[in-house]
Amino acid sequence: MTATSGPGLRDGAWSRSRDQAATPASPGGAAGPPPNTRPRRRRDGRVRWHSPLAAWLFLTPALLAFGYFSWWPIVKSVLLSLQQTNFVDPPRWVGLDNFRHVLADPLLLTAIVNTVKFGALTILIGFPLPLLLAIVMSELRRLGGLFRVLVYLPVIMPPVVSILLWKFFYDPDHGLFNSVLGHLGLGPAPWLQTKASALPSLVLLIVWESTGSTVLLYLASLSGIPGELYEAAEVDGASIRRRVWHITLPQLRGMMLILLLLQIIGTLQIFSEPFVMTDGGPENSTVTVIYLIYRDAFVNGDFGSATALSVLLAAALAALSAVYLRLTRRWSAT
Amino acid sequence: MTRVPTRAFAGVLALSLAATGAACSSAKPQSGGITTITVMGIPPTTKAAARQTYLDQVAAFEKANPAIHIQTTDAAFDATAYITQLAGGTAPTMLLVPLTEPAGLIARHQVADLSTAAKDLPVYGQFDPRVLENLKDASGKLYGIPTSEYALGLVYNRSLFSKAGLDPDRPPATWDDVQAYAKQITERTGVPGFAEMTVKNNGGWRLTAATYSRGGAMEAQQDGRFTATVNNPQAVAHLTQLKKMRWQDQSMGTNQLLNYNDVNSGFAAGNFAMIISDPGYYTSYINQFKGDPASFGAGAYPQAGGNATLVGGQAVMVNPKATAAQQAAILKWTDFYYLRPQYDPAAGAERAKSNKESAIPVGVPTVALFTADVQQKIADAIKPYVTVDPKNFAPFVSGTATLQYKPEPPVAAQSLYASLDTAVQAVLTRQDADPATELATAQKSATTIVQQAQQ
Repeated sequence: MTATSGPGLRDGAWSRSRDQAATPASPGGAAGPPPNTRPRRRRDGRVRWHSPLAAWLFLTPALLAFGYFSWWPIVKSVLLSLQQTNFVDPPRWVGLDNFRHVLADPLLLTAIVNTVKFGALTILIGFPLPLLLAIVMSELRRLGGLFRVLVYLPVIMPPVVSILLWKFFYDPDHGLFNSVLGHLGLGPAPWLQTKASALPSLVLLIVWESTGSTVLLYLASLSGIPGELYEAAEVDGASIRRRVWHITLPQLRGMMLILLLLQIIGTLQIFSEPFVMTDGGPENSTVTVIYLIYRDAFVNGDFGSATALSVLLAAALAALSAVYLRLTRRWSAT
Repeated sequence: MTRVPTRAFAGVLALSLAATGAACSSAKPQSGGITTITVMGIPPTTKAAARQTYLDQVAAFEKANPAIHIQTTDAAFDATAYITQLAGGTAPTMLLVPLTEPAGLIARHQVADLSTAAKDLPVYGQFDPRVLENLKDASGKLYGIPTSEYALGLVYNRSLFSKAGLDPDRPPATWDDVQAYAKQITERTGVPGFAEMTVKNNGGWRLTAATYSRGGAMEAQQDGRFTATVNNPQAVAHLTQLKKMRWQDQSMGTNQLLNYNDVNSGFAAGNFAMIISDPGYYTSYINQFKGDPASFGAGAYPQAGGNATLVGGQAVMVNPKATAAQQAAILKWTDFYYLRPQYDPAAGAERAKSNKESAIPVGVPTVALFTADVQQKIADAIKPYVTVDPKNFAPFVSGTATLQYKPEPPVAAQSLYASLDTAVQAVLTRQDADPATELATAQKSATTIVQQAQQ
């Protein structure tokens, strides 16, 4: 959040006005430099550099890094999607052939349906769960720190390690989950072994992996809600449910919107879990769009088709994000 | 906010990062008449003795060929990495490739044509023509030199055979025997009698081998063009038998999404009694998975009328950007390190001796690269150093001698296998799956795959 002129700001994003209201004085002294110090901050929050050269010098490393590692690959990918190459001979321009090839792949529809299923299920479970956990944890007077550590633990494990660990947990014969179910007189459940249960089993793992960091973000947001609001509500006799509904959720909605969008984008890019645990099986029931891209590029060596599908997915995600932002703009700005 | 879609866009396209490297040549600058080659194949640091032996061989080679300098690379061949290394100009000059890969590499022109250079090999004319089949394209050009070949067979746990009341010296010779033995082992020991791979294209690979053993094939050639024939009666018969074993006999356990490592490590741990593998697996069974040598048994590939087995192995292939001098240097090294111990009795004995000292099993049966009399001379020369118990491999040797060797399907084998994985998984994970229907579905994608690969 850029430090600006204080309360009364109306043009910013959702959380800006709240932060400003909570802390009228700008943090860190960034807005109050001694009069002779350059650069000087303008009223609109931008820094006025004495010489534009200095600004460009500061920008250059970031521009180079983004240019080389983000923007150039994007441009190159779009070019590659129109070419056929084996990385030995000069690439051959093939027009839209790669796109036609990708769209004719009978697995594409399966992959899209699976990806949407992954997205929908992950958000159905993975969106409300961290919110609920964060609200409950913020209400805890004791052991809050311990719970924060416990919830965050899965995040500090390297993803592939936790995926391999869960592969053992899901083993139908000797796995942890079926042993536990056995002790409870239930199961054994097939987990990854059937078409119907493989995808939901992967969703469980994905939610377990991602909940910790989302909870922390919500907790951080929760700590920014002014205590006076709750005190006022308590004085007025509001129940916990009403406090959550009328204070917590409205105050959190900026964070909820952005996290929902990030979760949607994240789940539509699911790859490591099916790749390591099921290889897209059984019977292609866990093949995702990114998995198809991988298979085209690295198993079939067809980078043209792989980048064509990447471009299509990126376009779909960009369109989805635009629609989402348009639909929620009003809600987030008020 | 507008940054989110941009970042997502970048994330989605991250896979193609690999493509951004400038396509510069991997050929090393040659200075002072010295030809430098980068070669795969050095044993890992965890096998210190074997690594030292290899380095000694490199030094001996360089001494004998002062105009050649060898740079070793620890990286093993990985199809994924190779494409990105080619794009970035960092691929090694000499590749050591499993025989599942050459068809794709040749089709994509990502390896050098060695037809002319290979003729300088001192033993070029003595290769068994069958072992070169996997390394040629449709027009007969040669792209690789085999360094070792194996025939698939049946690997079984001798202790579990004894426990189940079966004779460990008489492994099953037919698929019907495999089914009966697996059932008996499961009933008497509780250990799944048989396990098969189903993911990462291994399901398709194994179904192809089984189809050969029943007299079928996955591709057919007509007027110079290949068509997919994955929906054949032999493949249907095999899947039907696996289905019976999985659901009726319940002799294949319940975990069916198994990859290469799952099956191999599981067998060594005693989790399955029989798997399809090759005798070369014995080395990792002992050194990597710490399996019990006395429990290891190898039989010939089970048959059901095909009298054939699938061959695999390893071959030297060359980076297409290598210079003529580098190609020649690679072939010299290939001859010196890989081939000579297989045709020159003195070199063979010396290699067997150093392998024995490095705890690498000696005497594991392989497919002979050269003619039968050459093979016999080598067998005699290494006899004093043999560390494996020949009795455990005897059923494999006698059974395989009468089998025909079949290579992988020539066109787009890996993609074909991917479409077959689905059929194998269906039969082993869904009780109501119909093998014929599943193969009919696989046939549709396989037809397109094989057609497109020949365009």
